[in-house]
Amino acid sequence: MKALRSDAESRASGAAGVMIEIDRVSQVFQTSARKDHLALSDISLQVEDGAFVSILGPSGCGKSTLLYIVGGFVAPTSGVAKMRGRPITGPGPDRGPVFQEFALFPWKNALGNVMYGLLQQGAGRAQAEAQSRELLKMVGLKGYENFYPKELSGGMKQRVALARTLAYRPEVLLMDEPFGALDAHTRTRLQNDLLNIWERDRKTVLFVTHSVDEAVFLSDKVVMMTQTPGRIRQIIDIDLPRPRVRTDLLIDPRYQKYVVDIERMFDDIDAGDAS
Amino acid sequence: MKPTGIRRAAPLLACLGLLVVWQVASLALRNDSFPTALEAIRAVPAILGDKESLINILASLRRMAIGFVLAVGISVPLGLMMGRSRAVAAFFNPLLMVIYPVPKAALMPIIMLWLGVGDVSKTLVIFLGVSLPVIYHSFEGAKAVEEKMIWSGAAMGLSAVQRMFRIILPAALPEILTGCRTGLVLALITMVTSEMIARQSGAGNILFNALDMGQYDTVFAMIIIVGAMGICLDSAFERVRARLVRWSEPNFNVPLSFS
Repeated sequence: MKALRSDAESRASGAAGVMIEIDRVSQVFQTSARKDHLALSDISLQVEDGAFVSILGPSGCGKSTLLYIVGGFVAPTSGVAKMRGRPITGPGPDRGPVFQEFALFPWKNALGNVMYGLLQQGAGRAQAEAQSRELLKMVGLKGYENFYPKELSGGMKQRVALARTLAYRPEVLLMDEPFGALDAHTRTRLQNDLLNIWERDRKTVLFVTHSVDEAVFLSDKVVMMTQTPGRIRQIIDIDLPRPRVRTDLLIDPRYQKYVVDIERMFDDIDAGDAS
Repeated sequence: MKPTGIRRAAPLLACLGLLVVWQVASLALRNDSFPTALEAIRAVPAILGDKESLINILASLRRMAIGFVLAVGISVPLGLMMGRSRAVAAFFNPLLMVIYPVPKAALMPIIMLWLGVGDVSKTLVIFLGVSLPVIYHSFEGAKAVEEKMIWSGAAMGLSAVQRMFRIILPAALPEILTGCRTGLVLALITMVTSEMIARQSGAGNILFNALDMGQYDTVFAMIIIVGAMGICLDSAFERVRARLVRWSEPNFNVPLSFS
Protein backbone atom coordinates (compact mmCIF):
# COMPACT_ATOMS: atom_id res chain seq x y z
CA MET A 1 0.00 0.00 0.00
CA LYS A 2 2.12 2.81 -1.31
CA ALA A 3 -0.41 5.53 -0.65
CA LEU A 4 -0.74 4.69 2.98
CA ARG A 5 1.95 6.20 5.11
CA SER A 6 2.42 5.84 8.78
CA ASP A 7 1.61 8.57 11.23
CA ALA A 8 5.27 9.21 12.11
CA GLU A 9 6.42 9.51 8.50
CA SER A 10 3.87 12.07 7.50
CA ARG A 11 4.52 14.00 10.68
CA ALA A 12 8.19 14.24 9.77
CA SER A 13 7.42 15.41 6.25
CA GLY A 14 5.28 18.36 7.29
CA ALA A 15 7.61 20.46 9.41
CA ALA A 16 7.38 23.67 7.37
CA GLY A 17 4.34 25.96 7.39
CA VAL A 18 2.49 24.22 10.17
CA MET A 19 -0.85 25.86 10.89
CA ILE A 20 -2.22 23.59 13.57
CA GLU A 21 -0.33 21.30 15.85
CA ILE A 22 -2.07 18.86 18.14
CA ASP A 23 0.40 17.54 20.68
CA ARG A 24 -0.42 14.43 22.73
CA VAL A 25 -4.00 15.49 23.40
CA SER A 26 -6.22 13.30 25.54
CA GLN A 27 -9.78 13.96 26.59
CA VAL A 28 -11.64 12.35 29.46
CA PHE A 29 -15.38 12.83 29.90
CA GLN A 30 -17.47 12.01 32.90
CA THR A 31 -20.41 9.87 31.86
CA SER A 32 -23.81 10.27 33.44
CA ALA A 33 -22.95 7.24 35.60
CA ARG A 34 -20.01 9.31 36.95
CA LYS A 35 -17.47 7.09 35.30
CA ASP A 36 -14.49 8.40 33.40
CA HIS A 37 -14.69 7.81 29.69
CA LEU A 38 -11.53 8.21 27.63
CA ALA A 39 -12.76 9.90 24.44
CA LEU A 40 -9.41 10.79 22.93
CA SER A 41 -6.13 9.13 23.71
CA ASP A 42 -2.76 10.64 22.97
CA ILE A 43 -3.56 12.35 19.67
CA SER A 44 -0.72 14.06 17.84
CA LEU A 45 -1.30 15.66 14.46
CA GLN A 46 0.06 18.48 12.35
CA VAL A 47 -1.95 20.34 9.76
CA GLU A 48 0.01 22.35 7.23
CA ASP A 49 -0.98 25.79 6.07
CA GLY A 50 -3.45 25.52 3.20
CA ALA A 51 -4.12 21.80 3.59
CA PHE A 52 -7.56 20.25 3.41
CA VAL A 53 -7.48 17.59 6.10
CA SER A 54 -10.35 15.27 6.96
CA ILE A 55 -10.75 13.46 10.24
CA LEU A 56 -12.55 10.24 9.48
CA GLY A 57 -13.83 7.69 11.92
CA PRO A 58 -16.83 5.79 13.24
CA SER A 59 -19.33 7.70 15.34
CA GLY A 60 -18.24 8.09 18.92
CA CYS A 61 -14.52 8.08 18.15
CA GLY A 62 -14.10 11.61 19.46
CA LYS A 63 -13.40 13.23 16.09
CA SER A 64 -15.77 16.12 16.76
CA THR A 65 -14.25 16.58 20.21
CA LEU A 66 -10.85 16.92 18.57
CA LEU A 67 -12.26 19.67 16.36
CA TYR A 68 -13.80 21.44 19.37
CA ILE A 69 -10.41 21.38 21.08
CA VAL A 70 -8.82 23.08 18.08
CA GLY A 71 -11.72 25.54 18.07
CA GLY A 72 -11.02 26.35 21.72
CA PHE A 73 -14.59 25.40 22.71
CA VAL A 74 -13.39 22.44 24.79
CA ALA A 75 -10.17 22.32 26.82
CA PRO A 76 -8.25 19.06 26.52
CA THR A 77 -7.73 17.01 29.67
CA SER A 78 -4.05 16.72 28.83
CA GLY A 79 -1.79 17.75 25.99
CA VAL A 80 -1.96 20.95 24.00
CA ALA A 81 -3.33 22.20 20.69
CA LYS A 82 -1.46 25.01 18.99
CA MET A 83 -2.30 27.43 16.22
CA ARG A 84 0.76 28.83 14.45
CA GLY A 85 2.86 27.73 17.40
CA ARG A 86 0.68 29.40 20.05
CA PRO A 87 -1.29 27.28 22.49
CA ILE A 88 -5.05 27.54 21.93
CA THR A 89 -6.79 28.84 25.05
CA GLY A 90 -10.22 29.72 23.68
CA PRO A 91 -12.29 30.44 20.58
CA GLY A 92 -11.17 33.17 18.23
CA PRO A 93 -11.95 34.60 14.78
CA ASP A 94 -8.82 32.96 13.36
CA ARG A 95 -10.66 29.61 13.55
CA GLY A 96 -14.14 29.58 12.02
CA PRO A 97 -16.49 26.70 12.85
CA VAL A 98 -19.27 25.29 10.66
CA PHE A 99 -21.51 22.88 12.54
CA GLN A 100 -23.75 20.04 11.41
CA GLU A 101 -26.59 21.79 13.29
CA PHE A 102 -26.01 25.03 11.27
CA ALA A 103 -26.33 27.06 14.52
CA LEU A 104 -27.62 30.10 12.65
CA PHE A 105 -29.04 33.03 14.61
CA PRO A 106 -32.79 32.53 14.03
CA TRP A 107 -33.68 36.15 14.82
CA LYS A 108 -31.49 37.40 11.96
CA ASN A 109 -32.20 36.94 8.29
CA ALA A 110 -29.58 35.40 5.98
CA LEU A 111 -27.89 38.74 5.39
CA GLY A 112 -27.92 39.60 9.10
CA ASN A 113 -26.33 36.27 9.93
CA VAL A 114 -23.50 36.78 7.46
CA MET A 115 -22.97 40.39 8.56
CA TYR A 116 -22.83 39.49 12.24
CA GLY A 117 -19.16 38.51 12.43
CA LEU A 118 -18.06 41.37 10.19
CA LEU A 119 -19.81 43.94 12.38
CA GLN A 120 -18.30 42.30 15.44
CA GLN A 121 -14.86 42.69 13.86
CA GLY A 122 -15.53 46.42 13.56
CA ALA A 123 -16.46 46.67 9.87
CA GLY A 124 -18.74 49.53 8.84
CA ARG A 125 -22.35 48.67 8.19
CA ALA A 126 -22.29 49.53 4.48
CA GLN A 127 -19.06 47.64 3.92
CA ALA A 128 -20.28 44.63 5.91
CA GLU A 129 -23.49 44.54 3.94
CA ALA A 130 -21.76 44.74 0.57
CA GLN A 131 -19.34 41.97 1.50
CA SER A 132 -22.12 39.80 2.92
CA ARG A 133 -24.24 40.15 -0.21
CA GLU A 134 -21.20 39.12 -2.23
CA LEU A 135 -20.66 36.07 -0.01
CA LEU A 136 -24.29 35.01 -0.22
CA LYS A 137 -24.00 35.23 -3.97
CA MET A 138 -20.86 33.09 -3.85
CA VAL A 139 -22.65 30.34 -1.92
CA GLY A 140 -25.54 30.48 -4.39
CA LEU A 141 -28.07 32.36 -2.30
CA LYS A 142 -28.51 35.56 -4.26
CA GLY A 143 -32.08 36.68 -3.75
CA TYR A 144 -32.42 35.02 -0.33
CA GLU A 145 -30.84 37.82 1.71
CA ASN A 146 -34.05 38.63 3.57
CA PHE A 147 -35.09 35.07 4.34
CA TYR A 148 -35.03 33.94 7.94
CA PRO A 149 -33.40 30.60 8.89
CA LYS A 150 -36.85 29.06 9.50
CA GLU A 151 -37.77 29.76 5.90
CA LEU A 152 -34.70 28.04 4.46
CA SER A 153 -34.08 24.36 3.67
CA GLY A 154 -31.24 22.46 5.36
CA GLY A 155 -28.86 22.90 2.45
CA MET A 156 -29.60 26.62 2.26
CA LYS A 157 -29.05 27.00 5.99
CA GLN A 158 -25.65 25.37 5.71
CA ARG A 159 -24.78 27.66 2.82
CA VAL A 160 -25.64 30.66 4.99
CA ALA A 161 -23.60 29.19 7.86
CA LEU A 162 -20.60 28.73 5.55
CA ALA A 163 -20.91 32.31 4.28
CA ARG A 164 -21.28 33.57 7.84
CA THR A 165 -18.01 31.89 8.84
CA LEU A 166 -16.12 32.85 5.67
CA ALA A 167 -17.21 36.46 6.25
CA TYR A 168 -14.81 37.12 9.10
CA ARG A 169 -11.96 35.51 7.20
CA PRO A 170 -10.75 32.84 9.59
CA GLU A 171 -7.37 31.34 8.78
CA VAL A 172 -8.72 27.86 9.45
CA LEU A 173 -12.14 26.43 8.71
CA LEU A 174 -13.32 23.89 11.27
CA MET A 175 -16.09 21.85 9.72
CA ASP A 176 -17.94 19.47 12.01
CA GLU A 177 -19.81 16.97 9.80
CA PRO A 178 -21.24 19.99 7.98
CA PHE A 179 -23.19 17.97 5.42
CA GLY A 180 -24.21 15.17 7.78
CA ALA A 181 -27.79 16.35 8.17
CA LEU A 182 -28.44 16.77 4.46
CA ASP A 183 -29.89 14.42 1.85
CA ALA A 184 -27.50 12.72 -0.59
CA HIS A 185 -28.18 15.04 -3.53
CA THR A 186 -27.83 18.24 -1.53
CA ARG A 187 -24.73 16.85 0.09
CA THR A 188 -23.04 16.25 -3.27
CA ARG A 189 -23.90 19.74 -4.47
CA LEU A 190 -22.51 21.31 -1.34
CA GLN A 191 -19.32 19.24 -1.54
CA ASN A 192 -18.75 20.49 -5.09
CA ASP A 193 -19.48 24.07 -4.12
CA LEU A 194 -17.24 23.86 -1.06
CA LEU A 195 -14.33 22.68 -3.20
CA ASN A 196 -14.91 25.44 -5.74
CA ILE A 197 -14.92 28.05 -2.98
CA TRP A 198 -11.89 26.48 -1.34
CA GLU A 199 -9.92 26.54 -4.63
CA ARG A 200 -10.07 30.36 -4.60
CA ASP A 201 -7.93 30.92 -1.54
CA ARG A 202 -7.05 27.45 -0.26
CA LYS A 203 -7.66 28.11 3.39
CA THR A 204 -6.62 25.47 5.86
CA VAL A 205 -9.60 23.18 6.47
CA LEU A 206 -10.11 20.63 9.20
CA PHE A 207 -13.12 18.58 8.16
CA VAL A 208 -14.77 15.98 10.36
CA THR A 209 -16.83 13.31 8.62
CA HIS A 210 -17.81 9.67 8.79
CA SER A 211 -18.19 9.40 5.03
CA VAL A 212 -15.25 7.77 3.23
CA ASP A 213 -16.23 9.16 -0.21
CA GLU A 214 -16.54 12.63 1.17
CA ALA A 215 -13.16 12.50 2.90
CA VAL A 216 -11.33 11.18 -0.19
CA PHE A 217 -13.09 13.51 -2.59
CA LEU A 218 -12.34 16.67 -0.60
CA SER A 219 -9.05 16.11 1.17
CA ASP A 220 -5.30 16.28 0.76
CA LYS A 221 -4.98 14.11 3.81
CA VAL A 222 -7.33 11.75 5.60
CA VAL A 223 -6.76 11.10 9.29
CA MET A 224 -8.29 7.73 10.09
CA MET A 225 -9.38 7.29 13.69
CA THR A 226 -10.28 4.23 15.75
CA GLN A 227 -13.00 3.99 18.32
CA THR A 228 -13.04 4.09 22.12
CA PRO A 229 -10.67 5.49 22.99
CA GLY A 230 -10.23 7.65 19.90
CA ARG A 231 -6.74 7.23 18.50
CA ILE A 232 -5.17 8.00 15.15
CA ARG A 233 -5.00 4.75 13.22
CA GLN A 234 -3.34 6.07 10.10
CA ILE A 235 -2.84 9.21 8.05
CA ILE A 236 -3.41 8.76 4.33
CA ASP A 237 -2.21 11.27 1.76
CA ILE A 238 -4.73 11.63 -1.03
CA ASP A 239 -2.63 12.17 -4.11
CA LEU A 240 -5.29 13.17 -6.63
CA PRO A 241 -5.07 16.15 -8.98
CA ARG A 242 -7.01 19.36 -8.31
CA PRO A 243 -9.33 20.91 -9.19
CA ARG A 244 -11.30 17.75 -8.64
CA VAL A 245 -14.38 16.92 -10.62
CA ARG A 246 -16.59 14.41 -8.95
CA THR A 247 -17.73 12.56 -12.07
CA ASP A 248 -14.12 12.22 -13.27
CA LEU A 249 -12.99 10.91 -9.92
CA LEU A 250 -15.72 8.31 -9.69
CA ILE A 251 -14.24 6.45 -12.65
CA ASP A 252 -10.63 7.11 -11.65
CA PRO A 253 -9.00 3.86 -10.39
CA ARG A 254 -6.77 5.82 -7.97
CA TYR A 255 -9.81 7.37 -6.33
CA GLN A 256 -11.52 3.99 -6.19
CA LYS A 257 -8.46 2.43 -4.58
CA TYR A 258 -8.33 5.08 -1.86
CA VAL A 259 -11.99 4.56 -1.10
CA VAL A 260 -11.71 0.75 -1.03
CA ASP A 261 -8.54 0.78 1.09
CA ILE A 262 -10.11 3.07 3.63
CA GLU A 263 -13.39 1.15 3.62
CA ARG A 264 -11.39 -2.00 4.46
CA MET A 265 -9.69 -0.18 7.30
CA PHE A 266 -13.12 0.80 8.55
CA ASP A 267 -14.18 -2.86 8.43
CA ASP A 268 -11.07 -3.80 10.43
CA ILE A 269 -11.95 -1.23 13.06
CA ASP A 270 -15.53 -2.51 13.24
CA ALA A 271 -14.32 -6.12 13.45
CA GLY A 272 -11.90 -5.19 16.22
CA ASP A 273 -14.79 -3.54 17.98
CA ALA A 274 -17.02 -6.59 17.79
CA SER A 275 -14.44 -8.99 19.18
CA MET B 1 -70.09 35.48 6.93
CA LYS B 2 -66.66 34.30 5.84
CA PRO B 3 -64.69 32.03 8.21
CA THR B 4 -62.31 34.89 9.07
CA GLY B 5 -65.30 37.09 9.89
CA ILE B 6 -66.64 34.47 12.27
CA ARG B 7 -63.23 34.13 13.88
CA ARG B 8 -62.96 37.87 14.42
CA ALA B 9 -66.47 38.14 15.81
CA ALA B 10 -66.06 35.13 18.08
CA PRO B 11 -64.57 36.96 21.12
CA LEU B 12 -67.30 39.58 20.89
CA LEU B 13 -69.99 36.90 20.68
CA ALA B 14 -68.49 35.17 23.71
CA CYS B 15 -68.66 38.41 25.72
CA LEU B 16 -72.24 39.06 24.62
CA GLY B 17 -73.18 35.49 25.52
CA LEU B 18 -71.69 35.92 28.99
CA LEU B 19 -73.65 39.15 29.52
CA VAL B 20 -76.90 37.50 28.38
CA VAL B 21 -76.38 34.60 30.81
CA TRP B 22 -75.59 37.10 33.55
CA GLN B 23 -78.70 39.17 32.78
CA VAL B 24 -80.98 36.13 32.77
CA ALA B 25 -79.43 34.65 35.92
CA SER B 26 -79.74 37.94 37.76
CA LEU B 27 -83.41 38.40 36.76
CA ALA B 28 -84.17 34.83 37.78
CA LEU B 29 -82.43 35.01 41.15
CA ARG B 30 -83.75 38.48 42.13
CA ASN B 31 -80.97 38.96 44.66
CA ASP B 32 -80.04 42.49 45.87
CA SER B 33 -76.33 41.69 45.84
CA PHE B 34 -76.46 40.45 42.25
CA PRO B 35 -77.34 43.31 39.91
CA THR B 36 -78.23 42.66 36.30
CA ALA B 37 -75.61 43.06 33.58
CA LEU B 38 -77.36 46.17 32.30
CA GLU B 39 -77.30 47.81 35.72
CA ALA B 40 -73.60 47.08 36.08
CA ILE B 41 -72.81 48.40 32.62
CA ARG B 42 -74.82 51.53 33.31
CA ALA B 43 -72.63 52.17 36.37
CA VAL B 44 -69.39 52.05 34.34
CA PRO B 45 -69.62 55.58 32.86
CA ALA B 46 -70.42 56.94 36.31
CA ILE B 47 -67.12 55.55 37.63
CA LEU B 48 -65.05 56.57 34.63
CA GLY B 49 -66.63 60.02 34.69
CA ASP B 50 -65.76 60.58 38.33
CA LYS B 51 -62.46 62.41 38.77
CA GLU B 52 -61.62 60.76 42.08
CA SER B 53 -62.24 57.28 40.68
CA LEU B 54 -60.08 58.01 37.68
CA ILE B 55 -57.24 59.20 39.90
CA ASN B 56 -57.58 55.96 41.86
CA ILE B 57 -57.49 53.80 38.75
CA LEU B 58 -54.54 55.68 37.29
CA ALA B 59 -52.66 55.31 40.59
CA SER B 60 -53.27 51.56 40.35
CA LEU B 61 -51.98 51.43 36.80
CA ARG B 62 -48.91 53.45 37.73
CA ARG B 63 -47.99 51.06 40.55
CA MET B 64 -48.62 48.15 38.27
CA ALA B 65 -46.40 49.59 35.53
CA ILE B 66 -43.57 50.35 37.95
CA GLY B 67 -43.77 46.91 39.57
CA PHE B 68 -43.91 45.17 36.21
CA VAL B 69 -41.02 47.06 34.63
CA LEU B 70 -38.79 46.66 37.70
CA ALA B 71 -39.60 42.96 37.91
CA VAL B 72 -38.85 42.33 34.23
CA GLY B 73 -35.66 44.41 34.41
CA ILE B 74 -34.30 42.35 37.29
CA SER B 75 -35.82 38.93 36.55
CA VAL B 76 -34.69 38.58 32.94
CA PRO B 77 -30.94 38.99 33.63
CA LEU B 78 -31.24 36.81 36.74
CA GLY B 79 -33.11 34.07 34.88
CA LEU B 80 -30.64 34.17 31.98
CA MET B 81 -27.69 33.86 34.35
CA MET B 82 -29.38 30.97 36.13
CA GLY B 83 -29.93 29.28 32.78
CA ARG B 84 -26.28 29.51 31.80
CA SER B 85 -24.53 28.91 35.12
CA ARG B 86 -25.09 25.86 37.26
CA ALA B 87 -23.70 27.67 40.31
CA VAL B 88 -26.08 30.61 39.99
CA ALA B 89 -29.01 28.25 39.40
CA ALA B 90 -28.05 26.10 42.40
CA PHE B 91 -27.99 29.20 44.60
CA PHE B 92 -31.27 30.80 43.53
CA ASN B 93 -33.40 27.75 42.72
CA PRO B 94 -34.20 26.76 46.33
CA LEU B 95 -34.99 30.38 47.22
CA LEU B 96 -37.40 30.68 44.35
CA MET B 97 -39.00 27.32 45.06
CA VAL B 98 -39.81 28.55 48.57
CA ILE B 99 -41.31 31.82 47.35
CA TYR B 100 -43.14 30.46 44.30
CA PRO B 101 -46.11 28.69 45.94
CA VAL B 102 -46.70 31.44 48.53
CA PRO B 103 -49.61 33.68 47.46
CA LYS B 104 -47.98 37.08 47.18
CA ALA B 105 -51.03 38.76 48.71
CA ALA B 106 -50.45 36.66 51.81
CA LEU B 107 -47.17 38.52 52.29
CA MET B 108 -48.98 41.83 52.11
CA PRO B 109 -49.78 42.20 55.85
CA ILE B 110 -46.14 41.61 56.76
CA ILE B 111 -44.88 43.97 54.07
CA MET B 112 -47.37 46.57 55.30
CA LEU B 113 -45.95 46.27 58.81
CA TRP B 114 -42.51 47.07 57.45
CA LEU B 115 -43.22 49.52 54.66
CA GLY B 116 -46.64 50.98 55.49
CA VAL B 117 -49.82 50.97 53.43
CA GLY B 118 -48.49 53.27 50.71
CA ASP B 119 -47.22 52.78 47.17
CA VAL B 120 -44.02 51.02 48.17
CA SER B 121 -45.74 48.01 49.75
CA LYS B 122 -48.19 47.57 46.89
CA THR B 123 -45.52 47.98 44.22
CA LEU B 124 -43.34 45.45 46.02
CA VAL B 125 -46.15 42.88 46.03
CA ILE B 126 -46.73 43.44 42.31
CA PHE B 127 -42.98 43.11 41.77
CA LEU B 128 -42.94 39.77 43.57
CA GLY B 129 -45.95 38.51 41.65
CA VAL B 130 -44.42 39.33 38.28
CA SER B 131 -40.85 38.22 39.06
CA LEU B 132 -41.30 34.50 39.45
CA PRO B 133 -42.85 33.56 36.10
CA VAL B 134 -40.44 35.89 34.32
CA ILE B 135 -37.41 34.39 36.10
CA TYR B 136 -38.67 30.89 35.43
CA HIS B 137 -39.27 31.42 31.72
CA SER B 138 -35.98 33.33 31.24
CA PHE B 139 -34.21 30.47 33.00
CA GLU B 140 -35.83 27.83 30.78
CA GLY B 141 -35.23 29.92 27.66
CA ALA B 142 -31.54 30.46 28.42
CA LYS B 143 -31.05 26.79 29.27
CA ALA B 144 -32.45 25.72 25.90
CA VAL B 145 -30.15 27.92 23.79
CA GLU B 146 -28.13 25.72 21.49
CA GLU B 147 -24.50 25.52 22.64
CA LYS B 148 -23.17 25.66 19.08
CA MET B 149 -24.97 28.96 18.50
CA ILE B 150 -23.06 30.41 21.45
CA TRP B 151 -19.83 28.87 20.18
CA SER B 152 -20.43 30.48 16.79
CA GLY B 153 -20.63 33.84 18.55
CA ALA B 154 -17.52 33.11 20.60
CA ALA B 155 -15.59 32.32 17.42
CA MET B 156 -16.62 35.73 16.04
CA GLY B 157 -14.97 37.31 19.06
CA LEU B 158 -17.97 38.02 21.30
CA SER B 159 -17.06 38.22 24.98
CA ALA B 160 -19.04 36.33 27.62
CA VAL B 161 -21.11 39.44 28.42
CA GLN B 162 -21.75 40.13 24.74
CA ARG B 163 -22.80 36.51 24.23
CA MET B 164 -25.29 36.90 27.08
CA PHE B 165 -26.95 40.01 25.65
CA ARG B 166 -26.50 39.45 21.94
CA ILE B 167 -27.00 35.71 21.57
CA ILE B 168 -28.63 34.17 24.63
CA LEU B 169 -31.09 37.04 25.19
CA PRO B 170 -32.46 37.16 21.63
CA ALA B 171 -32.44 33.37 21.31
CA ALA B 172 -34.42 33.05 24.55
CA LEU B 173 -36.72 35.99 23.78
CA PRO B 174 -39.79 33.98 22.72
CA GLU B 175 -39.72 32.09 26.01
CA ILE B 176 -38.96 35.26 28.02
CA LEU B 177 -41.94 37.05 26.49
CA THR B 178 -44.21 34.12 27.31
CA GLY B 179 -43.15 34.64 30.93
CA CYS B 180 -43.73 38.38 30.67
CA ARG B 181 -47.24 37.82 29.37
CA THR B 182 -48.06 35.62 32.36
CA GLY B 183 -46.37 38.25 34.53
CA LEU B 184 -48.55 41.02 33.13
CA VAL B 185 -51.77 39.22 34.08
CA LEU B 186 -50.33 38.45 37.51
CA ALA B 187 -49.43 42.13 37.89
CA LEU B 188 -53.09 43.02 37.44
CA ILE B 189 -54.21 40.37 39.92
CA THR B 190 -51.68 41.35 42.58
CA MET B 191 -52.52 45.01 41.98
CA VAL B 192 -56.16 44.46 42.90
CA THR B 193 -55.43 42.13 45.82
CA SER B 194 -52.83 44.48 47.27
CA GLU B 195 -55.41 47.26 47.26
CA MET B 196 -57.95 44.97 48.78
CA ILE B 197 -55.67 44.50 51.78
CA ALA B 198 -54.09 47.96 51.98
CA ARG B 199 -57.27 49.98 51.45
CA GLN B 200 -56.01 53.44 50.69
CA SER B 201 -56.35 54.10 46.98
CA GLY B 202 -56.71 52.32 43.67
CA ALA B 203 -59.16 50.29 41.65
CA GLY B 204 -59.35 47.60 44.31
CA ASN B 205 -60.15 50.25 46.88
CA ILE B 206 -63.14 51.53 44.90
CA LEU B 207 -64.39 47.98 44.51
CA PHE B 208 -64.22 47.07 48.18
CA ASN B 209 -65.51 50.42 49.40
CA ALA B 210 -68.55 49.96 47.18
CA LEU B 211 -68.96 46.46 48.55
CA ASP B 212 -68.91 47.81 52.12
CA MET B 213 -71.55 50.38 51.22
CA GLY B 214 -73.75 47.86 49.43
CA GLN B 215 -73.40 49.57 46.04
CA TYR B 216 -73.43 46.31 44.16
CA ASP B 217 -73.81 47.84 40.69
CA THR B 218 -70.53 49.72 41.30
CA VAL B 219 -68.87 46.50 42.52
CA PHE B 220 -69.77 44.67 39.35
CA ALA B 221 -68.94 47.68 37.18
CA MET B 222 -65.44 47.68 38.71
CA ILE B 223 -65.10 43.99 37.94
CA ILE B 224 -66.00 44.78 34.33
CA ILE B 225 -63.47 47.63 34.26
CA VAL B 226 -60.67 45.50 35.72
CA GLY B 227 -61.48 42.70 33.27
CA ALA B 228 -61.46 45.15 30.36
CA MET B 229 -58.10 46.52 31.51
CA GLY B 230 -56.75 42.98 31.52
CA ILE B 231 -57.98 42.28 28.01
CA CYS B 232 -56.56 45.57 26.67
CA LEU B 233 -53.16 45.15 28.33
CA ASP B 234 -52.86 41.57 27.21
CA SER B 235 -53.79 42.22 23.61
CA ALA B 236 -51.45 45.22 23.43
CA PHE B 237 -48.65 43.12 24.86
CA GLU B 238 -49.46 40.26 22.53
CA ARG B 239 -49.17 42.61 19.58
CA VAL B 240 -45.72 43.78 20.67
CA ARG B 241 -44.65 40.20 21.40
CA ALA B 242 -45.77 38.92 18.02
CA ARG B 243 -43.78 41.64 16.31
CA LEU B 244 -40.61 41.01 18.31
CA VAL B 245 -40.51 37.26 17.79
CA ARG B 246 -42.07 36.93 14.37
CA TRP B 247 -38.98 34.95 13.33
CA SER B 248 -39.91 32.17 15.75
CA GLU B 249 -43.63 31.85 14.99
CA PRO B 250 -44.65 28.44 13.66
CA ASN B 251 -46.86 29.84 10.90
CA PHE B 252 -43.82 31.71 9.68
CA ASN B 253 -42.26 28.37 8.88
CA VAL B 254 -42.54 27.90 5.13
CA PRO B 255 -39.43 25.99 4.09
CA LEU B 256 -38.45 26.31 0.47
CA SER B 257 -37.39 23.37 -1.59
CA PHE B 258 -33.99 24.42 -2.70
CA SER B 259 -30.67 22.87 -1.76
